[in-house]
Amino acid sequence: MTRYILERFASLILVLFAVSIIVFTLMHSVPGGPFDESKGRLPPAAKENILRKYGLDKPVWQQYLNYMSHALRFDFGIPYQQPQTTVAKLIGKTWAVTVQVGLMTILVAFSLGIFAGMYAAYHQNSWIDNVVTFTATLGVTVPNFVVAMWFILFFAVARQWLPMGGWSSSGQCLIGNYLCTDWILPVIAYALAPMAIVARYTRASIVDVKRADYVRTARAKGVSERVVMRRHVFRNAQIPMVTALGTEIPNLITGSIFIESIFRINGLGKFFVTSTLNRDYPMIMATFLLVALLWGITYMLTDIAYTWIDPRVRLGSKGEG
Amino acid sequence: MKTKTYGWLGRVLALTTAFALLLGFGLAQNTTILGVELPADAVPYDEQVLRVPCDNTRNENTFDFPVGVYTRFDCIEELFQDTLVDLDKDFNVIPASAESWSVAEDGRTWTFKLHEGLVWSDGTPLTAYDYEATFQLTASPEMAWDFAWFYSFIGEGGIENWGEIIAGELPVEELGVRAIDDLTLEVVTKGVFPPLPGVMNFAHVMQKKALEEHGPFYNNDPATSVSSGPYVLVEFDPGNRIVVEANPMYRGYRPPNLKRIEGIYMSPATYFAAFQNGEIDRVPYERLTPADFAIIESDPVLSANYLRHFGDFRTDYLLFDTFNPPFDDLNVRKAFAMAVDRESIVANVFGGEIKAMPAHSMLMPGYPSSDTEGALAGFQRFDCDAARQHLADAGYPGGDGFPAQEMWLRAEAPAMAAVYQASAASIAQCLDIDIQVSNKDNKVYMDALNAKPTQLELGAVSYGMDFLDPANLLGIWVSTGRHSWQNDEFDRIVAEASNLVGNPVLRDQMFRDAERILVDDVGGVFIAHRWQGDLWQPYVLGDTLREPDATGISGKHWSVDELWSDLYIRADQ
Repeated sequence: MTRYILERFASLILVLFAVSIIVFTLMHSVPGGPFDESKGRLPPAAKENILRKYGLDKPVWQQYLNYMSHALRFDFGIPYQQPQTTVAKLIGKTWAVTVQVGLMTILVAFSLGIFAGMYAAYHQNSWIDNVVTFTATLGVTVPNFVVAMWFILFFAVARQWLPMGGWSSSGQCLIGNYLCTDWILPVIAYALAPMAIVARYTRASIVDVKRADYVRTARAKGVSERVVMRRHVFRNAQIPMVTALGTEIPNLITGSIFIESIFRINGLGKFFVTSTLNRDYPMIMATFLLVALLWGITYMLTDIAYTWIDPRVRLGSKGEG
Repeated sequence: MKTKTYGWLGRVLALTTAFALLLGFGLAQNTTILGVELPADAVPYDEQVLRVPCDNTRNENTFDFPVGVYTRFDCIEELFQDTLVDLDKDFNVIPASAESWSVAEDGRTWTFKLHEGLVWSDGTPLTAYDYEATFQLTASPEMAWDFAWFYSFIGEGGIENWGEIIAGELPVEELGVRAIDDLTLEVVTKGVFPPLPGVMNFAHVMQKKALEEHGPFYNNDPATSVSSGPYVLVEFDPGNRIVVEANPMYRGYRPPNLKRIEGIYMSPATYFAAFQNGEIDRVPYERLTPADFAIIESDPVLSANYLRHFGDFRTDYLLFDTFNPPFDDLNVRKAFAMAVDRESIVANVFGGEIKAMPAHSMLMPGYPSSDTEGALAGFQRFDCDAARQHLADAGYPGGDGFPAQEMWLRAEAPAMAAVYQASAASIAQCLDIDIQVSNKDNKVYMDALNAKPTQLELGAVSYGMDFLDPANLLGIWVSTGRHSWQNDEFDRIVAEASNLVGNPVLRDQMFRDAERILVDDVGGVFIAHRWQGDLWQPYVLGDTLREPDATGISGKHWSVDELWSDLYIRADQ
């Protein structure tokens, strides 16, 4: 297992290099640049000054080598959007909040989604199943910024039950600055779509396994329904669930521009969009590398989770056939 | 003995009474930290707090104009310093940090005298050397200031040696802005430029000492921030909250009534909801959706507190390549100008007169030398029959044979794209021709517009003023500018008027004559002038905000920094 993990890390480094080259090439091949004039034509000298200041006057290959030589020392440069700080500091500050939001969302989405999916699968084709299926479809199809605005207009403006934004700024928290009332709306709005996906996958996996021969055999042998469900159905349904649901995690912990901006959360989510729109090359590179890293780690953990769920799975062993 | 006792008691009694009276008077007085008495209906000074929204989707990194004009924290700006001059509500140039100014006989050397006694919040005197250091900062090649284009753009008004310094060919010490002594600043322009004092409304100041010790971002940290303006930074958590409080050391021309201003970061999509929820006190017009405007217009309190203003006197217009067919033919241009149903577009696409007014010329009524009398309205009026006749005269009767056109837009948001699409539709329908609208990336659009010869045959765009003088908004139409239209008479008049000193009446008439040429020769097709505005809570008062200007328009006028002095919170909130 250790060897397998080390191999995966080695391949992850190669993936990160490949991503860096692709992203760097793409962002420099798009017409325009970070300091294109929006109003008047910049005097050539002023434009040259700006390009020189940020090292953009050099050939692209040289810019790439400069960037990567610094990145290998964890120096990801100065964000053009906020030149008074560094990319590392900016990501460190904002991502900490985004991870909090993401973890809360994962907790809510996965616990409620798995419960709803299991319940629907257990009561397949009942009205409960229909309600869960309908709600799951709605959760996936209605964008979270629409849900967010509905929540704000109803719970904050019309009823004034909950604060309309902030993150730990309401002063009404259960523990210190954690579990605050201003967490409720963003987490639920953010969790609805993944919860729907989780519920649908859970239901589909369980329904699939419920029809398997070994489940029918277990029932025929007189095993109780509870034991059948726990030992045979849920356990075997976990592999497709982990495969599908693991990929939701990197999405959730890298934030959403809509949820974060609408609910006044000063997180990382907006930088994925604003960095691209503003051609903030250092931030684009850093955010893409972060996402690539998270995806790589998530896939690795998913593979490791297979061995835990199903002992027949052996990682790193060569196939016999 | 008795007398003595009474005398002693009397003195104690008198002192006690006097003290009580003083105390009572003091308590009854509602005064600011600078000793200014608040209006009778104001809430107590400790509650004089204004809450403004800050856009959490914007990229911002400085409070200071000399550091980054387009990246400023735009919810809290112009509060840590006073500019050399300010504008009053009728857009007259008035003293700010400078108490007076004069120009030498050469017409290029301006001398600004600073008020005595101005100080920074750390007690350091504010001097002309601070202004000199600030100008040098903006011109330094290392700074790569994003507004560096401006002093090149204004031509003769450009500061002496500006271009050479930003190019690194001369040291910053050669800049035409020099401190003569603590209270005297000299500004030398390239040529004669009468509107220079108004342009000095952009002359912000940063503290020379702080720049040397902490660099240009010193105001981003309350520990290093220093202010010579009406407020000081007390809390700064970018992305969450900005808090400024009245500067107890302020000695300038706009002592603040408000004790504190809080900037609360939020999504622009939620500004109106937050306003309705009572969390903020102002929403700028660009953050109000058509649905929000419908609510505002149907609510008497909201509509009474939506205060329209000129903003930057922005005009939406169509532009052509008039050097090539088909737009080299004046009849074609006149046909287009008369085929735009401006009234209908303003009423149905903009959403009514609350957001725009039909435009028949470049200068919005209210702008200096603008056509407030409507004398130019006839040149570019909606008259479909006349438009068809012009097109027929150009050789395209009924639109036959007229080449299909693609109208480019400059990365317009949906609301403004709809305005231009409606303009294209109006022309296409009236003239029976084919016009497709294509919303381009900003870079692609500007490259095509600025290319010589232009690569933009037909486009739509808006322009707002950079400084308050017709030399600005008419100057962009001279043949060396961005538009592919040339009229030698127009060029001559604008050039002469721009440099004319000593005869404001003649200068005004010359600009009016020039604008007449522009609309008659159809350099552009003018569609609408945008009304801008803000929605305020009814308890936010202040004469500069609520009282109308000479043209009857109230609200927060462009660059009228005095606004932040007399704003206050009324007691019945």
